Order: sequence, then C-alpha cells, then structure tokens
Amino acid sequence: MLKRLVFAVATVFVATTLNFFLFRVLPGDAIRNLARVPHASPQLQAELRKQFGLDKSPWEQYLLYLRQLLHGNLGISFADQKPVIDNVMQALVNTLPMVLVGTVLAIVIGIATGVIAAWWRGSWKGSVGTSTAIFFYAVPTQWLALVLLIAFAGVLPSHGMSDPYLLDDSWTAHTLDVGRHMLLPSLTLALTLYGEYALITRSAMLETLGEDYVLTARAKGLRPRVIVRRHALRNAMLPVTTLIALSLGYLVAGAILIETVFSWPGIGFAAYQAVIQRDYPMLQGTFLVLTVSVIFFNLLADLLYAWLDPRISE
Amino acid sequence: MSTKALRNLIAAVALLLTVTACGGGTGASGDKGGVLRIGTSNGIDSLNPFVGINQDDFAVWLHIYPSLLQYDTTKPGMPYKGSLAESWKFAPDHKTLTFALRKGATWSDGAALDANSAAWSLGIMHKFKDGAAAKWGINENIDTITATDPQTLVITFTKPTATTLYALGNTPILPKQVWEKAASGDGKGLKTFVNEPKGDQPMVSGGPFMLTKFVKDDLAMFKPNPNWYGAKPRIDGWGLQTFKNKDALVTALKANEIDAVGGVPVTALSALKSAGITIDEGEGLAMRDLIINSNPDKPKHRELLKADVRKAMEMAIDRKAIVETAWLGKATEGSTIIAPATASDGQKWHNDAIKPLPFDTTQANALLDQAGYAKGPDGVRVADGHKMSYEVIFADDESGEGDRAFQIIQSGFKEVGIALSQKKVDSSAAWDAVYCDDNCQYRDFDLAMWDWFPSADPDFMLAAMTCASWGDWNDTGYCSKEFDALQAQQKDSIDPAARKKIIDQMQQMVYDARPYIILTYDTRLDAWSPKWDGFIPSSQGFFNNFSTQTLEQVHVK
Repeated sequence: MLKRLVFAVATVFVATTLNFFLFRVLPGDAIRNLARVPHASPQLQAELRKQFGLDKSPWEQYLLYLRQLLHGNLGISFADQKPVIDNVMQALVNTLPMVLVGTVLAIVIGIATGVIAAWWRGSWKGSVGTSTAIFFYAVPTQWLALVLLIAFAGVLPSHGMSDPYLLDDSWTAHTLDVGRHMLLPSLTLALTLYGEYALITRSAMLETLGEDYVLTARAKGLRPRVIVRRHALRNAMLPVTTLIALSLGYLVAGAILIETVFSWPGIGFAAYQAVIQRDYPMLQGTFLVLTVSVIFFNLLADLLYAWLDPRISE
Repeated sequence: MSTKALRNLIAAVALLLTVTACGGGTGASGDKGGVLRIGTSNGIDSLNPFVGINQDDFAVWLHIYPSLLQYDTTKPGMPYKGSLAESWKFAPDHKTLTFALRKGATWSDGAALDANSAAWSLGIMHKFKDGAAAKWGINENIDTITATDPQTLVITFTKPTATTLYALGNTPILPKQVWEKAASGDGKGLKTFVNEPKGDQPMVSGGPFMLTKFVKDDLAMFKPNPNWYGAKPRIDGWGLQTFKNKDALVTALKANEIDAVGGVPVTALSALKSAGITIDEGEGLAMRDLIINSNPDKPKHRELLKADVRKAMEMAIDRKAIVETAWLGKATEGSTIIAPATASDGQKWHNDAIKPLPFDTTQANALLDQAGYAKGPDGVRVADGHKMSYEVIFADDESGEGDRAFQIIQSGFKEVGIALSQKKVDSSAAWDAVYCDDNCQYRDFDLAMWDWFPSADPDFMLAAMTCASWGDWNDTGYCSKEFDALQAQQKDSIDPAARKKIIDQMQQMVYDARPYIILTYDTRLDAWSPKWDGFIPSSQGFFNNFSTQTLEQVHVK
C-alpha cells in the first residue's frame, strides 16, 4: 500500500514536470498571441512577458511554479488574468454532472448489452447487441454528436448548460432546464462509451458461462435470470469493475469533442482553449487535475481489484 | 439490469423528451421589444478592456461603455458621429481638439458622466499607453487631456495626426468610481481587475446596455441602461451566446434557439434560406492571402524574391475558381491590402485602379521559362539547383474554404511547374513558423496562407507592413524605407483626400512587390430570424465595435 502511494506521488511529480516543459516546447507563444491586438508594439510584448514571468529562464519559471504549487497556488491564467484554480473549478463543476450521467448511462447500457450478447451468443439477438456496440465504439464522437444535434434540432437544446432566457426562475424549472441541456451531450458520451463496457462484459460473461458452477446451476433447473444475475454476472464483474474505476479517472478530463460541439463550458473545452491560446498556467492546472485524478482512480482500481479478488494480494 | 429497471429508464427519457418538447425559445415572446438572442462563434475572452482581445470583447465594451464618437455605418464612407460628444472641432493647426459633451449624462449608478469622466479615463489610457493600455493606441502625439468645464474636453497634441479621431473616437470611457483603485501606482492593477457583474448587481455602465450576467465560454446577458444618454433601445435586453461549433450555431438559429448570427458559414446559406431565415450580405473587411516571404536576407529559395517569379505565381492563381468553388460565390477577387469595404472619416480607402492579374498559366510559364527555371522530368521546375517545391504554412483557422482555395492554388501552380505542400498548424504555431524568432526573423519560411480582419481605418493594415512591425504584426518580412516614409506621411496628412492619394500609392507599392497575393475579400454574411427587424448592417456585421445602432433599433416585428 505504502509502496503504491509513494509511486503515485512520484508519478504526479514526474507528470507535473513533464507538463511544465512539454507545453513550453510546443511551437507558438502565449505572448505573441496576446499581443496580436490593434496597436500592439514590441513594448507591449516585453511588458506582457515580464508580467507573466516569461522573461525568466525556464528553470527559474519551473522552480517558481513548484513553489507556487506547494502553496496550493496554480497561478493566474494568461488569457483572462483570473486565478487558474477558480477557472478549473468552475469548468470542473460544469463538466462533472454531464460526464457522470453519460458514464453511468454507458455502464448500465453496456453491461445490459454485454449480458444479452453473451447469453444469446450465436443468435440474432447476440449478434445485434455485439455489432451495435462495436459500431458505437468505432464511430467518431464529433460525428455522432453532430448527427444527434441535427436529428434533435428544435426538440432538445443544442448548446450550453441552461437557457439564459428562461422566464421561470424556480429551482424546479432550472433543474429541468439543465437536464434538458444535458441530455444530448450525455447521450452522445454514453453511446460512444457503452460499446467498451458491452464488449468487456460479453467477454467476461462468456468465460463465466462456461464454468462448472454455471453448468451446475443449469442442472439444478434454476431460471436463466437467476443464473445470469447470481452466478455468471457477479463473477464476470471483476474486469468491468476495474474498467469503471479507470474510467472514473478520466471523468475530469471531460469530453473535449462533445463539449465543443454542444458548447458545454467544461474542463475539456477549457483545456482545448488553453492549448490554442498557449495559456501555460491553465494548461498546467487542467493537466494537473487530470493527472491527479487518473492516478488516484488507478490506485483505487488496484486496491479494489485486490479486495474483490484476494488471490491477487496473495 | 432488470427488465423493470430498463423500462423505468426508457420512461424517464421519454418524460424528459416530452418536457423538452413543451419548452421553447423565449426570445420574441410578445413583449414590447423582446429579448434578442445573438449567437457567436467568437465569444468573449475577457470583459476587462485591458485584457480581452476578441472581436466580441470590443463590441461588448462599445455597448456598455460610453465613447466620445461612433461610426455612422449607414453611410458608405462611415463618417464619425457624436455619441457622448455632441460635436467636435479641430483648431486650424490641428493641434487642439475640443469636444462638446452632452449635458446631464450619468452612469448607470447615477454618478455624473461628463468631461471629467472622459478626461480621467482617456488620461489613464494615455498614461499607460506603453504598458497596460498599449492596445488602445491612444495617440502618441497627445500632449494634454483637460476638462475645462463639465461639458468641454480639450485635447492638445504635439503635432497633427490624421488618425486622431480613429484613435480616440470609440475608445471606451471607463467609470472612475470603479477603476480608480486599479489604475493607481504603475497601473498593473488594471490588468488583474475582475471586470464582471457581482452577484445580482449589473456592471456600472454608461452605454446603452448594462451587463447583468457573464459565464465565460457560454453567455453574457444585457439589459437596457435606464440612464443611457442616447435613444432608448426598443428591446428588453439581449444575450450573446458562444458556440464553438459553427454547425451547432446554424442548427440553433434554424431551431429558433437563437435569433441572430453574425458571420454564418457560406455552406450553411441554402439550409438557412430554406428554413426562412433572413440573410443579409455585403462587403466585409476580411481578406484571405497567400504570403510570399519578402525578407531580402532569406537564405533558401531566393528565387521567390524575384519579381517575375511572384508575378508568375499570381498569374497561376485562379481567383475566379476560388470565389466560385471555395466560397460558393460569397467573396470577391482580391487585389490590394486595403479591402474595398475599408472606410472611415467619410472616405473609402481602397485603390480601385489596381486590378488583379488574370489567371493565365501560359503567360506564367513563359515568365518562368524566361527566368531560366526549366521543368524537370517530373514537371517541377528547377531553380538554382533545387526543385521549385515549397511548403505552405497554413493557419488552421483558414480550414474549410481555405483548404479548397489551397487545392485550387496547388493545381494552378502545378501547371506552371511549382509544387506546393500544405503544412497545417494552429495560429500560434503558424506565427512561430513565419516569424521564427528574434534571431532568425522571417528566414525560415517560403509561403503561407492566412487572413486579415482589419479595422475601419487603413492605418492599422498599413502599419502592419512597416519595418517597425517586424516581430508583431508584419507576417511577410516586407520592409521598405520608401513605404515607411509614406506611412509617416499618410499619418501626418490631415486632409482625407490628400491622405487617400498617399494610401493609393502605398497600395500600389505593396501590390507590385507582392509580399501578399490577396486572394479574396470576404462577403459579410449575417442571418436573423424573420420575426425581427431593425438590423443595421456594417462591414463588421450587425454586432460590431463601430456603432450601437443595431441594438438600439432592433425589435420584434
């Protein structure tokens, strides 16, 4: 356990360092971006460079960044001059509900499809379940998002998190409104994710359905639903659980393409904007949050796996 | 999942869809003026006038802050018209400018909005013109800014300048009561000041509208400023919603989720027309160009510096095909660096006498043959021992129409024995590739494709061509002492007709030297719901930083 924790902390440190230097070797320059305004002058560029500390050597900047980080300070965004922590938290708060709903939906549909595909393997039901899952797994996210957007135009909201022109400002109306706005992006996410869950579940189910205890259950005359739920699915959940834990790590990354198509002001979109603007503090902030969450959930998956299957610890 | 649970899930989704179907737009909901819902693909990056750089930022500031003047976009030459200033007058030597301000104007919080307010705000812009306020370009020749009485603002200059009104006219006047603390000391606080509504309180405004709500990358909401000194807006408010995907923007307009969009993609026009959306088109300021590196010290591919090679390259470009195929007819063939829509101070600045060379690959081949660059066995010419094969740095914001234009150029160049390859990068990386860095300025690239979205006055675009602009706006490596001297002359030329002559000459110089081959000028395309009326077009679209006319007059039919 301690070894795993130390490894996780070391990974965060290495990722933080890599993030710091990686973004700076990208072609392009934050200052030249910001200085491309009417009446810009070399003085403006020099002023901005000094203001953002980019006139210092990379090592000085790095040490400054680490010192700030140790004080819990993620710096100030170049683009809007606001604290990065505020920008990241705001974007994260916007992202999490949408991605969470999409992921939960994907897990539910994925497991259900996987079970159906495994139980009715060889029949048309199984084939339809598997091929549909593969189709959605392979389909480009932005294409699916656009198809849904066009298909539901005028029925479901196509952009943003809520209707700013809503006349009824009650809590219920607002919640319903956010729910309506969340439906298309969450559905897109669910459809693009569920294939993976379906395929993993099907594969694990096929393995457990061939086990002797399932044969025994059949021989005892148990109903198919009971065999699946109590014997096959429960044992097939091990790889699925790991996959879920790993997926949770990526929740905070949001879904850049989905957030872009549906103009959802989340963290994926914020990261994309930061890349375009070469907003190094925002990039470092968003990737730090992403790194920490992936490592944390990986650690959680390791621990969960060991708990679910004690043979691993042994 | 049990069958029952699955049934419940389906029922929940169905319920949500039903609720949705019962919802709908609230924009034109039968009120006296309605709430205009504007969609944009640009968006607000910051509301702080010392930080934001997007086009929408500038337009928003014009609508929430007063300015001395605005442009009258209803007239072809876009003359200035009074806003906070009712009139203005230059002294005969043009070294003193006196503005007569409206009486009784106040900020939205009730504080007086007079010459003292303007003097303080413009004074701050001038004081920090080399620092926090550099982007506002307050005239470098300003000597003093004084409020001689509450209705009189007097500005004196060390020398007369043609761009005085352009520099001062629609610069926002900021409320001293809000900004004074941030402007103290070295002015660094100006950049870090969070200029957003706090809680339910709208921002202090002196323009026709007050900003009531702002969510970055999402929306900004506005309502009329009851203390606005001008004509009262007819609408109850308006919102600016950011779309990061143009297909979604078009879909939202068709689905009545928004009411108006500035700058719709040409590919969406037929779908919008079919949906009954009103399309308004006119001359735009934007232009698309092929850049030929003009740094005389570039070490490689020096044949590209030769005038005949450049001329042959222009002849190998089928502009008509670019207009028809890439832009579906919604553009015009380009010629000079000043677009035909460029107008200010009552004057149009484009040199109509300059016509682009016709597409003629036979003549282009002849020019290249004369230059001694024979075609190799693969059809590509050889110049000074190397193939005439070049990489074109392509800024990815040109994707779409620009990709199609590139293919047409590539095909034309192939006919004359020049091979092109496309290197697509984002804007930031494109600038890096063009400029290189301070130690290798404009030495590493051959060709690039990019665009310009210039301002109303030609000064900005011309300044971008000067030697002094190397490293900031100059993206060609062009540098001519003669051109720089003319640039200084045009700035000093206070008679618009005399200034026009100089600017015509400058356009001819750049056209002949061909650091740019201007491919096309954009057609401006705005779209709005037929339920709305009162839009005032401009070369920047109905929502612009020239004038607040549209949002003062727009209303539900």
